[in-house]
This record gives sequence, structure tokens and C-alpha cells, in this order.
Amino acid sequence: MATPSSIVAGARRKLGAGPPRYSAAGLVRKGLSGDSWPRVWRDVELKSSYDVVIIGGGVHGLATAYYLATNHGITDVAVLDKAYLGSGGSGRNTAIVRSNYLTPEGVAFYDRSLTLYNTMATDLNLNVMFSERGHMTLAHTDGALRTMNWRAEVNKLQGIDSSVIDPTEVGKLAPSLDVSGDSRYPILGALYHPPGGTIRHDAVVWGYARGADHRGVEMHQKTEVLDILCEGGSGPDGKGPGGRVTGVRTSRGDISAPIVVNCTAGWASLISDMAGVKLPIHTRPLQAAVTEPVKVFLPTVVVSGSLHVYVSQTDRGELVFGASVDPFNNYNVGGSLEFTEELAGHVLELMPGISKMRLLRQWAGLCDMTPDYSPVMGDTDVDGFYVDVGWGTYGFKAGPVSGEAMAEAIATRAMPKIIAPFHISRFATGELVGEKGAAAVGH
Amino acid sequence: MLLVPTPFGPRNASDLRYVGEATSRPDPSTTSPEAWRDYLYLEHNPAGWLRETWYDRVNRVYFQVERNTATNEFRNPTMPVAKHGKKA
Amino acid sequence: MLNPLGLLRTATTAPGVRRLDTPQPGEVIDRDTSVRFTFNGARLTGHEGDTIASALMGNGIRVVSRSMKYHRPRGYLTADIWDPNGALQVGDEPNVRSAHRLLTDGMAISTQNVWPSLDLDVKAANGLVSRFLTAGFYYKTFMKPAALWPYYEKVLATFAPGGTVDLDTPHGEFDKRYAHPDVLIAGAGPAGMAAAVAAADEGASVMLVETEHELGGHLRWGDEAELAAAAELIHAVRSRPEIEVLTDATVTGRYEDNWCAISQRTHTHVAERLIKARAKVLVVAPGLIERPYVFAGNDKPGVMTAGAVRRLVNMYGVQPGDRAVVFTANTHGDAAADDLERIGVPVQRVDARAGERIAEATGPDAGVAGVTLVDGRTIEADLLVTAVGWTAPTSLLNMAGDRPVYDRATARFFGSAEIDNVLTTGGIAGDGTVTELVGHGSATGRLAARRAAVIGAHLRAATVWAAPVDTTPPATLPADDRSPLGRDAHPELFRSTTHGIVDYSEDVGSKDLVAAATEGYDSIELLKRYTTATMGPAQGKLETVNTAAVLAEARGERIEDVGTTVWRPPFVPVSLGALAGRVFEPTRVSSIQPWHEANGATPILAGQWIRPEHYGDPAAEVLATRAGVGIIDVTPLGKLDLRGPDVPKLLEQLYTNKWQKLPVGGVRYGLMCAEDGVVMDDGVTARLGDEHYLMTTTSSGAASVWEWAEMWLQTEHPDWQVHVTPVTTAYTSINVAGPKSRELVGRLCDDVDLSPEAFAYMQVRTGTVAGVADCVMWRIGFTGELSYELHVPAGHGLHVWERLLAEGADLGVRPFGLEAQRIMRLEKGHFIVGQDTDGLTKAPSTGLESLIKLDKDDFAGKPELAWALSPEALASAPRVVAIQPDDPTIVPDEACQIVGGETTEILGRITSSRMSPTLGRSICLGQVVPTLAAPGTKLTVLLVDGRRVPATVMEHHAHYDPEGARLRV
Repeated sequence: MATPSSIVAGARRKLGAGPPRYSAAGLVRKGLSGDSWPRVWRDVELKSSYDVVIIGGGVHGLATAYYLATNHGITDVAVLDKAYLGSGGSGRNTAIVRSNYLTPEGVAFYDRSLTLYNTMATDLNLNVMFSERGHMTLAHTDGALRTMNWRAEVNKLQGIDSSVIDPTEVGKLAPSLDVSGDSRYPILGALYHPPGGTIRHDAVVWGYARGADHRGVEMHQKTEVLDILCEGGSGPDGKGPGGRVTGVRTSRGDISAPIVVNCTAGWASLISDMAGVKLPIHTRPLQAAVTEPVKVFLPTVVVSGSLHVYVSQTDRGELVFGASVDPFNNYNVGGSLEFTEELAGHVLELMPGISKMRLLRQWAGLCDMTPDYSPVMGDTDVDGFYVDVGWGTYGFKAGPVSGEAMAEAIATRAMPKIIAPFHISRFATGELVGEKGAAAVGH
Repeated sequence: MLLVPTPFGPRNASDLRYVGEATSRPDPSTTSPEAWRDYLYLEHNPAGWLRETWYDRVNRVYFQVERNTATNEFRNPTMPVAKHGKKA
Repeated sequence: MLNPLGLLRTATTAPGVRRLDTPQPGEVIDRDTSVRFTFNGARLTGHEGDTIASALMGNGIRVVSRSMKYHRPRGYLTADIWDPNGALQVGDEPNVRSAHRLLTDGMAISTQNVWPSLDLDVKAANGLVSRFLTAGFYYKTFMKPAALWPYYEKVLATFAPGGTVDLDTPHGEFDKRYAHPDVLIAGAGPAGMAAAVAAADEGASVMLVETEHELGGHLRWGDEAELAAAAELIHAVRSRPEIEVLTDATVTGRYEDNWCAISQRTHTHVAERLIKARAKVLVVAPGLIERPYVFAGNDKPGVMTAGAVRRLVNMYGVQPGDRAVVFTANTHGDAAADDLERIGVPVQRVDARAGERIAEATGPDAGVAGVTLVDGRTIEADLLVTAVGWTAPTSLLNMAGDRPVYDRATARFFGSAEIDNVLTTGGIAGDGTVTELVGHGSATGRLAARRAAVIGAHLRAATVWAAPVDTTPPATLPADDRSPLGRDAHPELFRSTTHGIVDYSEDVGSKDLVAAATEGYDSIELLKRYTTATMGPAQGKLETVNTAAVLAEARGERIEDVGTTVWRPPFVPVSLGALAGRVFEPTRVSSIQPWHEANGATPILAGQWIRPEHYGDPAAEVLATRAGVGIIDVTPLGKLDLRGPDVPKLLEQLYTNKWQKLPVGGVRYGLMCAEDGVVMDDGVTARLGDEHYLMTTTSSGAASVWEWAEMWLQTEHPDWQVHVTPVTTAYTSINVAGPKSRELVGRLCDDVDLSPEAFAYMQVRTGTVAGVADCVMWRIGFTGELSYELHVPAGHGLHVWERLLAEGADLGVRPFGLEAQRIMRLEKGHFIVGQDTDGLTKAPSTGLESLIKLDKDDFAGKPELAWALSPEALASAPRVVAIQPDDPTIVPDEACQIVGGETTEILGRITSSRMSPTLGRSICLGQVVPTLAAPGTKLTVLLVDGRRVPATVMEHHAHYDPEGARLRV
């Protein structure tokens, strides 16, 4: 037990010393010298004021901070997280990315996200292990096949590589699938989207945090927001419509800030309540599970909307499963046995040969569900209070583009066109976004 | 599997269907777009006690019950009462 | 000549590892029975009662696997279900826990993570460059050139550990069971067994679940006194019928309200059975898991925990080495040394309590040859045994909401929360002699039984139809009156002065953890995610506490400040087959289905229903129906029987149109919207009597419309008197359509006047058809022809169907399927909810504005529909229109987009399309933006093959007979 306790503190890096580049050559140098790498992000004191406070240290919050600093030169930014970075949905999702959505708005948005994911490893100088392995959404009914065709046609018009394939092609892409047509839910075809794939979700979190840190953004973990400070609003304590934000009260003291951004996914309603902004959101756990590793046999991502299941195999050999959100609102991420039973039943319906594989671990994350399966983004009736919420089960896919667009919205004080359809005002006018058909179990 | 106290006794949640937050339907003849869409879309979504509507698929009965959405404790199951045009 | 591969070659056997000649006191093998098996192709023999591990070691095999990253040779470390090195392939089953699975005759066993073979593994070359392959190294490289990453990825994927799935493995048979024990006990060591006995004696029904193959816990590998104590307890358990004993079974999860999952691996005829138990009280008594020690060389074959040695020697008669060093901090380690000496293995004891520490296991990769102490002494040995303390498997407590806290004096975690219906006993609760453990277990069993009785009384009292409860159950549960177990002081021993492996399954060392913490991954969760420590098959059972200890050390903090990761279910992995159980996904068929099958129908799955898509030629079926008469089985149509004086009020609430004046014998079409104005369902409803109506819904909407109706009745209008009864399957429904349908039905029905004057379009009658009384007959026409829909009491459906065919033979009657019906409905322009409408289509978009009666007081969705009918709203809402491609031979696929000329602007889409056999041209329904909805508007349809073809918006939705003359004859 002789390691000096200062080992961590001693490696603190001063800002401005220049970002240490990650590379194979660097690994060799460090390996030979035995030197340690510097901290991935700094550990600094919390200040009493910032230009922008972002609540939620997940992909959305960190990407917003990164693009505020990178694209707009706004660096006096603090990202606060009540636990650790990536502790919410960012570290609990099944890390699937794709852009084959149903509506033109959705397609344009997620396509931009996929573009950013494609270059992320070089942009952030951190390998996020983007695996462009293709994404198949199975159809088991003629109605589902019709929706697949609809998506494919919209996708093609937007220049997205997306087409409907027949069961024989499905079987060629994923030989473990039962394409005999004899099962209870026969596979009639699939929407195939070659650019879709998986990514290492934690690496995206760390990459954005590291990139933002290099540009001066501060990350503060274990810093819980207890209240949002407002003035001039119609509600109690100056909160609510007509008011403006002045700062946040945290478990480590008050911070003044003219701009506060809510990027808290499953906790979005609780944070927005603190500013007096009511949201069209309910919180549901989304459960996931992973098996023990086996030698790689599943080369693509497979999704079945009818069977409420999606599955991919990691490079480590584990099958990662997800399903639809839980059947009732909940802030409890304990998970349920029913989920694993239904999941296993449906997975074996698709892949009867894997009954001897074992489920190793189940977990859950909290999703902020909206009535139209589309997010709520942009400014609100409280000046300076921005929301990037309502991401439901697909927030991870949208992280990069959301950060980019939210940063632009904050920096320019104007809503970028790409997120205009997602403004909260649509719930007052009834002009909802039509993503429900594609996104209900759309991983 | 939650064991939910219904007005008829404890039941597995798989016998039930979750309806949602207990809401008050505005009077359709006098409502405004704001009030109606508040009823349609906005939710309290607290992490704590909430009065909810559930449907018992076995007894074919809608009932209300309070649930703590953070701990999944239940209390006070009751049969629903008509609230047409009245605000909670 | 030096073979470079020789460096990577490893001997898999060791001379000191062998089966003892003399039986041991606690031996569980039957030396008189041989069991044959193969290991990597070699034919070997073990004994009845052997685990795979003990059989392999009994054959002198010490190296059984290779590590994940560096492919280092590995041998058994803990020799129990948690052994991180013992996952083997057995036949088509991957990842078998070989130190737990019993050997059976003919097993084909092989190593998993080797290339090309166990003794020669080329990937062990990774070990030579391990200093560059620190935890998370892959995040720092392979970024450029980006184009090469897919190739790197493929190489990395070949390092995936684990066995191989044979994709032709049969699905297998699995079963499930529900149980309702008063007291469920996880773990059958002395405390668990005593708890079971005491709870049973208190009158409780008890389920006792033990992961191992026999009851006894740690007493099984203990001394003679412990074996005797075990025998006595086992007898007490087995002689009580109130105790159901499950061995080779594990409580894998505790979910809300004590819903517990049990994996039973010994049920007859199934590989694994999932038992779901609603336990009134759960007793957690899993014992303790022995923790490995972190030091240089700690993953060499020949390094073992004391428990591993005791199990191998005492239960299986296996000698694990020739010369041993036992590094011990507790009596368990001392006992292991005693056991070794008893079988003649010389032992050098290194006593941690006296301040002695081991620093390194030396020798080749193939196994330990010596041990170096921190004080510099070296000892020759081929076996290094460590006894450095325990990890409390608090998994089930975690799942119950407990967050265990670290106790420095005992160097382990304890549960912290008082949970009424989850009690702990045995090692997880404290230390003691066998007598003390039994005493605590008994007290726990009694308390569990008493609490279960009160909980059960409350459940019965809350159930209104249960037998009356004599007395009001007490408001509070019996208090916890147990004397707590003691806690034996234990030195904190996690890592020596050297670095070694922390997570064996993941090949993560303490050096990796320190490096990661230094880089800023310095909370336990970030560290876990960055290094993957604790994420392998043992899920932290062996490595969580050491991980926390190394992190605490790196941060200069205490373990209690660092905390641990949350242990998630399941406690042991469960097969997907067991979780899935049998396939319970029923399909529904009508009473006519046997006829359909016998007569060449092509089946189609429509929701839950299997129905005929066609009988060979749907176009011919259409033409036959339009020219003469056809019959179709429409049983899946949703049907609700509505009775009571207030049915019209309910109908007015559900549908957008009016219902108060529907006369008896009348039928009306209605459109149902949700509260947001979006079309939800449609159908016709008939008034059969003064207070009796029959409603039809779409097939897929049958269940939801029923619940929707009940919702309005129960929550908004409990004063209305209406009974709703679903009768979808009470009737077999047959539509008789075509100009000759009156003739055909008339031949089978003589108590209803079918003349157009007496029974007009949109009317209903009740009568006798083919001798079957109480048939409901509607004159409606989805097909656009004169037609009668017959709802026949289901038991007589097939009879009526066959009579219709027989009586109509000379009329050319022909059955038609779903496809012909779809063609005919499209010819008539009837939209299908959910196909021609979508999740945002409000009622005005369907062209049925005239059915929206805003002068009614209320109906579902009324405010939204009022606003949707405003000129501004109508000017932006899409419209459902009939469309015909200008080229009549082109049938655009459903979902083809309607675009602006040569642009990519989307202006609508084709929602339904068919070639019309009646018209000899293609016909469509579609949704378009309102500016393109006017009849005669020219559209551009983008076909799937990329062609853009012109089409025209039609004046009427109906392509055929828009006036409906054929219906009304």
C-alpha cells in the first residue's frame, strides 16, 4: 500500500499547456517511459458565476459545451452533473446510431448527427469506435413492411442509404436469424440501412468532455442542481413565463449565470419545474441487458419493432439487447424480471439457436418521453432557460447534432432551422411531429 | 413485478394497464386551446407521490391509486369519480 | 534451433496435480463409478460426483484456459461457480462454469479463448507488448487513417472471449413455475438451513434454495465436526415437508415487492427452469465469497484461494500441488494449510496476522515455481494459497434498495438498510462458530415466519372476496429481536507492494486501474467503464472490492469514501431459454379455419388472426363477386354488444356523429377520434332492440375500443347505464356480397323478408340462417355490392359457410379472401384507419367532415376537431384523396412519395394501391398537401425504381360506382 496519495493530484494539468495528443506513437512512448497520461479533463474549483451553466453531463450537455467553445468561442461554461459524467442515459443506452427516420425533419437531423459521429474520432482525437456495421429493422407484418417502404422512400429522397430487402437477403446479412417464414412472427423483409451501426457510448462522453476541457469548459461532477434562480416571472419566486434566469443553486453553492441549459433527459421535468416551465414529458425506464460473451456471429444491428427488441453484438462478443420503455412512468431504475423474460422470448423467436447463451446483466436508464416521439429543443418562456430534452429512447443518436444546434441557438439567440420543428410551442398549437410510427421502438 | 393494491385487493401489475396521471378533462364546450392542450400533453411527472389511473384487465375496472414514482410504493386505491368539467 | 513459437508454448499438465489415492472424509465423488469425457479431443476419465474442474485436475491438468487480452495460461483460482478461469465449451453450450457443472458421461469439453490451441497460443504475444496495451489503449489509437478502423475493428473482434454458439442449436424445452412461499431462503449453509427449520417449525411454508449441488455451504469442505453438523442440519431440513429444497438452484434476482427469480438447473426434462416466487419474506444467506489477493504473478496457474484448495482436497480428493505456500490472514487459510499437510503436501505458512506479506509468484507462465515475500525471502512452491478475506455478495440486498457500507474492522461490506421483508443471516450478516451461525439462522427463520404471517394476513384482509379475516392483522410487523452475530476483526488485505491482476476475466491489473485513475477516471463507475474491471462474467463477485481498494489507494482515500458499483441482476447468469420459457404467443382463427385450410387458402397473419389472404386468384375472386356472389369470413371484425338505456349517449360520446335517432333495425357508420382529434377507429353500429346495440370495430381496434368505451363509462359518466360485452369471437361473421347475394341468402333464410322495401341498405335484422337461429344480418357493403353480413353464433359458423357454398353452387358462389376485399374496398375508396390515415391524421383530413357534428354537447376530441375545421387549419392539413396514375398499367407501390415535379420536395404519398380487375386500371388512395387535393390536380409520383410518373386526383374517393347504386338495389 505504498503508492503515494498524491499520485492523482500530481498529474493535474494546467490549462493552456496544450492538449496531449493521443496516438499509437504516444502509447509506445508512454509505455517505454512509464509516464502517465495527463488528466482527461481538469479538476478545478467551482466558480460563483459563468456565462453558461449546462445541467447534465451526458452526451447532450457535453456536446453543447464543446460546440459553444469550438464553434462560438464561448468558453466560460460549466457542465454540472449530480453524479459522474455519462452516468445517465449516455452510459446506459445500447449505442446504436442511424439516420433512417420517417419524417424529412427527422432524417435531416439524424443525418447531420451521423456525419458528426463519422468524423468524431479524428475531430476529438479519441477513438469512439464507430462500427459502421449496418442496421436492419425487421418487418413481421405487411403493415410494418409498408412503413419500412415509407421510410425507405423518404430516406432515398434525402440521399440516405436505406432500402427494403427480402428475407433471403436478411438471412445472408445475419445467418442467425430465422427467415424460414414458419415462426410466429415471420420475417417478411427488413429496412436495411448500411451507414447505421454502433459506437462506444462512454468514449463519446469522454471525448466531448476532453475536447471541451481543452477549450476552457469546466466539468463539475457530484454537483447537484437544487434550484434554478429566476426573476420577473409570473410564478412564485420570480419563476415561470415572462421571467428570466439568474443562476442555479447547487449542492456546492449558488452560481450566477444568465443562461441555463437543461440537458437532463429522464430528470428533465424536475429541472424544468425549478424554472417554472412545464413540459409535455413523462419519465419511463428503458431497460437493456447484455449476455456473456461468445465468438462474434452477428455482424449487423437487428431491430424488430413488432417484437420490441433490438440486438447487436459488441466487439467483446456480448449480445446487447434493448426493448421498448417500461409500461408505466417511473424514476426507479431497478429493472424488472418481466423485461428479461419478454426479451428472451422475443430474441429466441428471431434467433432460435441461442437459447443456451446466458443473460449476464440487466440495467435501466430513464427516458423523457414526449407525445410525438420527438424532442423539445430551444428556448422557453423563461428568458435564458433553454431545454434540450424529450429525447425518449433515441437521445444518444442525436447527441452531436443537438449539441451543435443548441450551441448555435444559445450563441445567436435564434433557433437554427434544423431544430425549429422541435420547439416547445408545437404543443400549444397542436402541430406535432410525425415520428411516432418510426421511433416507437426505433433503435 | 409490482404488487398493486387495487380496490379489490393486491394484484400483479401484469394484470393491469397503466393509463397515466389522473387528469381533469376540461369542459369541451368552453375550453381554450391552451387549456385543452395542457390536458392533452403536459404532465406533472414528479419524482414522488402522484395520483394515477390504472385499468384492471381482469375485473375490467378503472381505478385510481397514489404511487410514489421514485420508490413504487402505493397507497389509497379508489374507484374513479366523474370529474367532467371540474378542475382537480 | 529455436522455434519462436516455443516462447508461447505452455505445458498444460503439472506433476503435483493429481487424484489422491485415499478417499477424504468429506468426499462427494463415487470412486467406483467412472465417467468418460474428452478434453480438447483427449479421452479422459473422471468419477460420478466430479465437477468438470475436479475431473480435469484429477487427470493432472492445471492449465484450462487462456486470459482474455494477453492469452496468459490460466488454471482454477476459486474452484467454484465464480471461478474466472474456468469457463469452458461443453458440446454446443458455451461458457460452462466448469468448477460447478457436474461431469456427465460423454461430455465433449474444450477450451474457448485459445488460438490455435491451449498449449500453443500465438496471441500470447500480446503479453510481450502489454506495457503498451494499458487499459483503454484502444481509445487512444486507431483514429487515423479513419479508413483503416474497420480492419482494426475486425482484428479486435477476434479477441472476443467466450465460447461458440452453434446456431443450429435446437430451441430446447424450458418451463416456468410460480411459487408463493411464506419464506424464501437464498443459501443453504448452516444459517440458511437453521432458518428453514425454524421458519417451518413456526408454521411457514419454506423454499430453501442452494446454488451448490448439496446442502451444507462451507461445512461441506470443513472438518469432521463441521461435516457432522451439516449432516444433522440436512436431516432436520429433509425431514420437514414444509421445506421445499432446491439444489443447484440460485435466487438470481429480488425485484419489487419480493418478486424473486430462481434459476433451477436440476428440474426434470428441462435444462433450466425459471421459478417466479412472490415471497412474503426473503432471507438472504448466501455466505461469503473469498477474495483473491493482488500481487505480481497472481494469475499464474497454481495460485488459488484457500476455499479452492479445501474444496478440491476434501470434496474431490484432488491434490492441487506438491509444495505449498499458504498466505493466511484467517482460520480458513489455516484450515487449508492443515488440509494440505494432512494429505502430505509440505506447507510453508506466511502469516498475514504477523505482518508477513507475499510479493510475487515466480516461475514460468505455465505455473507457479516459487514465491517471493515482501521481506525478500523466496520459497520454492508449485502451489500458492491465499486467504485474505471475504466479499459479501450483497447483490440481492442491492436489488432490494440497500446500499452496503464498508466496515474497516472486518475488511468487508455489510448491508445497511432495515428492509422489513428482506432479512440476512450467516456470513453476510456476521461471523461466528457453527453454533452461533445456527442460532442466528434459527432466530432469523422464526422472525421471517412471524413477519410472513402478518404480511399474509394483510394481503388476505385487503382482498375483498377472500374469506373474512377473523381479526384485524397487527399494524406493525414483529420487531427484530435477534442478537446480532459478532464481527471478527480481519486485516485489510487487497494489494501487496507489487501490481497484479484485479479482474481475471477482463485481464485488468492494478497498474491499469491506477493509470486510469490518474487520467481522471477516478470515480468507481468511471473507472469500471474505462478499464472494464468488474464487467466480465463474474460481474464483480471477486474483483469489486479489490477495484475499490486500488482506487482508494490511488486517490489517497478510504474504501468507504470510494464506494462500490451497484450489483445488478441476475446474481448468476441465466440462460435465455429459461427466461423465455415456452412460446406463449397465441394466434386466433375463426371457426371456419379448417375449411380454409382444406380448400387452398393462402394464410396471412393479420394482428393476432390467421386468415385467408386468397384462394389462388384474388382478381378472379373480385370479378366473381362483382358479377355474381362471393362470401368472405370476416370473423376478426371487432364486435361489442351494448345494452342499456344510455347506449345512444355512449355512442354520441365515442363517435363524431349523431346516434340519438337511430331507429331499431337501423345501421349507421361512425368515425372515432382520440381526444387530440386523430382518427382512432371506425365501423358500423346497429340498433337491434330498444336498449340493445351491436357495434363493430376494426379487427385490430377491438380490444382498445372496448377499453375506451369502458373508460368513458367508468371515469366520466358513471351515471350512464350501459353494459359493454365483447362478442368478437361469440359470432362467426360471414359477408355475402354481390348482385346475387339476396338470392343466395334468401335460399337459406325464411323468417326475414329480404325484399329491398322490407330490408333496405343500412338496416339490420335478426333471423334464422341455414337453420341457425339468432343470426344478426346487416345490409352494409364494404365491397360496394349488395351484401349481407351474417353474424352467426360461433358454433354454427362452419355449418352456415358450407351451406352457403352448397346452396350457391348454381349461382357461381365463390369464397374470397382478404386481398380481394382490400381490392374491392379500394375500388370503393374506403380508407383503412392506420393505413390511409396515420398517427397525426385528424378527422377532417379523411374527407368525412359531414360526420363531425360540432352541435353535439360533447364527443371525444370535439375541441380539437372544432379547431381542425377552421379554414386556417384546413388550409394546412393533408387530405386523403383518390388518385389514378395517368398510365393505367402503372401501380405505384404503397408508400411511394408524391413529389414536386423534379424536386425532392415531399407533397404526399400513396397510402393504398392496387390494379383494379373491375376497372382494368391502377387505382390509389393517398395523402396530399391541401393545395394538391382538388379534383383534377396533376401529381408527380416517384416510383420505387426512381421513375417519376404523372397521376391525377379524382373527384370521388370511390373509383367504382361513386353513387353507390349497386349497394342500394
